[in-house]
Amino acid sequence: MIVMSKIKVAMAAAVMSTAIPLSVSAQPNSAEQIYNMSLAATCANCHGTNGISAAGNNMPQISDLTHEEIKTRMLEYKAGTRQGTIMPQLAKGYTDEQINAIAVLLGKKN
Amino acid sequence: MNRRLFMGQSAALIGAASSFPAFAAQASSLQKAKIIVVGAGYGGATAAKYLRSLSNNSADVTLIEPQAEFISCPISNLVVGGVTQIQDITTSYDGLVKKYGVKMVKDSVSKIDPVKKTVQLASGTVMPYDKLILSPGITFNMDKVEGLAAANQAGVTLQAWKAGPETVALHKQIAEMRDGGVFAMSIPLAPYRCPPGPYERACQVANYLKQHKPKSKVMVFDANADVTSKGKLFKAVWAEQYQGIIDYQPASNVVGVDAKTKTLKFELRDDFQADVLNVIPQMSAGKLVVDTGLANANGRWAKVHFLNFESTAAKDIHVLGDSIQVAPGMPKSGHMANQQAKVAAAAIICELSDYPVNPNPVVTNTCYSFVNSKDVVHVASVHQYNAEEKTFKTVKGSGGLSPAPNALEGIYAWGWAKNIWSDTVG
Repeated sequence: MIVMSKIKVAMAAAVMSTAIPLSVSAQPNSAEQIYNMSLAATCANCHGTNGISAAGNNMPQISDLTHEEIKTRMLEYKAGTRQGTIMPQLAKGYTDEQINAIAVLLGKKN
Repeated sequence: MNRRLFMGQSAALIGAASSFPAFAAQASSLQKAKIIVVGAGYGGATAAKYLRSLSNNSADVTLIEPQAEFISCPISNLVVGGVTQIQDITTSYDGLVKKYGVKMVKDSVSKIDPVKKTVQLASGTVMPYDKLILSPGITFNMDKVEGLAAANQAGVTLQAWKAGPETVALHKQIAEMRDGGVFAMSIPLAPYRCPPGPYERACQVANYLKQHKPKSKVMVFDANADVTSKGKLFKAVWAEQYQGIIDYQPASNVVGVDAKTKTLKFELRDDFQADVLNVIPQMSAGKLVVDTGLANANGRWAKVHFLNFESTAAKDIHVLGDSIQVAPGMPKSGHMANQQAKVAAAAIICELSDYPVNPNPVVTNTCYSFVNSKDVVHVASVHQYNAEEKTFKTVKGSGGLSPAPNALEGIYAWGWAKNIWSDTVG
């Protein structure tokens, strides 16, 4: 709020013009953040936006896992050492770096 | 936009942290751009939402859609089969508006001017855009089957390939059919929306008839030489669960319909008379894409640049979903449209922020088919962008099918549905 009053206006005017009561972060995402968020978004179809499931008992809640747990499980699916229906097939399509980036974004925030 | 000038002005106004003007400049050009999305299906609604969330709610996004609610085609076969109700596949658009601040306009688009960069609504309003996303679904080429348009209008031959009133009406036709009657469906030559969809429909109708009208039959006339998706799995189910009910006839292309006698006419085989007809017509890109001159793949589909889904025929117009000329192995599915939308949204935010677009986008597909009320088979694939070939390619060794129909995947299928609907419309 202090920041807003100092700014005058390019920022405030831009916020007003969208006329919605939602927070507009003063700090836009960097390119790398957008790339990583896009990667994590490929999981949302089954696991929910940001990994937060809206499907009750019909889908594991991955946002309850730490990022290390997500990464470990994904790598195990990829290596074929962990059983699953779909995840072993999907995990094999991602690079280890992509798996890590996704895990960091979707894992439980400490 | 002249970033340097803007930075100077805001620095004078703020007089504070030097890093701030840079963010303000980026944010401002993103905020000033008018982004219009046409079609609030799996592609368009997802694009609108992610344009907002990836830009921390600063992007100006207007979503134009004539329908009041989101009705999902995936899972709609369960409504045709009487396993679930139309309300169970219907979701409100409220989340998009209230949670994500997308401006929704209930209208349809009558005309697009790619030069003036305007969109004209059916109501007459003209809206300018800086970036336009079209996700209009598919057009049915009724003229490919003689008599089909009239039969459809008369309510005799429903396609129910765009979920909504026809879905409910088709179930009603099946429910009112006499025991011992024949439900005849036809499948057009690929590519068409949702490759396994027709075969799932055959299962659902057969499942219903087996329980309620056991003397009845399901004829499946497929223009294709063989089942186009999950073939082995579907044929095993038909033999094990629907023996004597489902009769699958490949290489049978329907060329005419007689609505009065409920007769299907074929290219190469004898006419077939049935009690309930479900002719699924050949498809092409949504009318808006075709009318705007963007269907440059055989006049049927829109070619796009796969890094941002921009049309190869018009700058700043991006096309998503079933309307596009797909990359190899990429199905025309709702799941895929949602994935494409996220790539496009991210790319557009990057372009408007003067960032390079993501050089390594990824999209996946997971498609669940219900072979009865609870058992499911899936197909899944992962597609990584290949810079050399400038297209998405499936990753070798990844993806696959179910070993057999199973109830666990039936549970996951509903989980997928609830989560993708939430991901798509808020």
